[in-house]
Amino acid sequence: MILSVTETTVESADRITTVNLPRFGTCSYRESEVLDFPWGLPGFASLRRFIALNLEGQDRFVWLQSLDDLAIALPAGDPWQIFPEYAPRLPPYATSSLDLGRPEDFATLCVVVVSPGAAEMTMNLLAPIVVNLRTRTGRQVTLETGGYSVRTPIPRKAPAATAGA
Amino acid sequence: MIGDDVRIVVVAVDRDTVKLGIEAPRTIPVHRSEVYDEIQRTNRAAAGEPDPKPAVERAKVADLAKTRRAPSKE
Repeated sequence: MILSVTETTVESADRITTVNLPRFGTCSYRESEVLDFPWGLPGFASLRRFIALNLEGQDRFVWLQSLDDLAIALPAGDPWQIFPEYAPRLPPYATSSLDLGRPEDFATLCVVVVSPGAAEMTMNLLAPIVVNLRTRTGRQVTLETGGYSVRTPIPRKAPAATAGA
Repeated sequence: MIGDDVRIVVVAVDRDTVKLGIEAPRTIPVHRSEVYDEIQRTNRAAAGEPDPKPAVERAKVADLAKTRRAPSKE
């Protein structure tokens, strides 16, 4: 459901688009900031184009906002902020499909589920979202080792809560 | 065979029980459907949960480079 989209052509290589997002209001992004998820996301297989958003004053979390369906946005966080010992090992299909060559090219985000009223939060450590920042390509990858849980409880007093984002 | 690359094999037969295995190249993801289903449900729950704070804050594009850290390869 697209509410309204306006486009401003600056240069064809990096067009700026302004959208009206149901959750976050007006937001502008460059084409170079768009992330491509060729495999979609489990549960949202047809959604391919996303942008990662920070809300003002909320740097700990990123919202993966769909550009194909403006009503869909998933909260995710840096897993190491909360679980410093997290050691995901990507299976071969993921490494090859994302061209995992240089570690500095990558960002890893894990989807967060917030219960109503934010009483409880869990993080999906079993299936991290890995993004190749150089190619702007992302994929949610299910780990085959490590024994991680899809709904890992986030401790109330996480290390980052006192250290600051 | 399923396609050219995936093979279903019989691992064991015992009376009225047959245990099946899946042979696939490591380039193809193979997961139990209950795991995949749970990941789907979690994603949908994550997308459906209302923002705990009222959506008055403005959103700007995040710099993912700040959270750069590559998972290791198997």
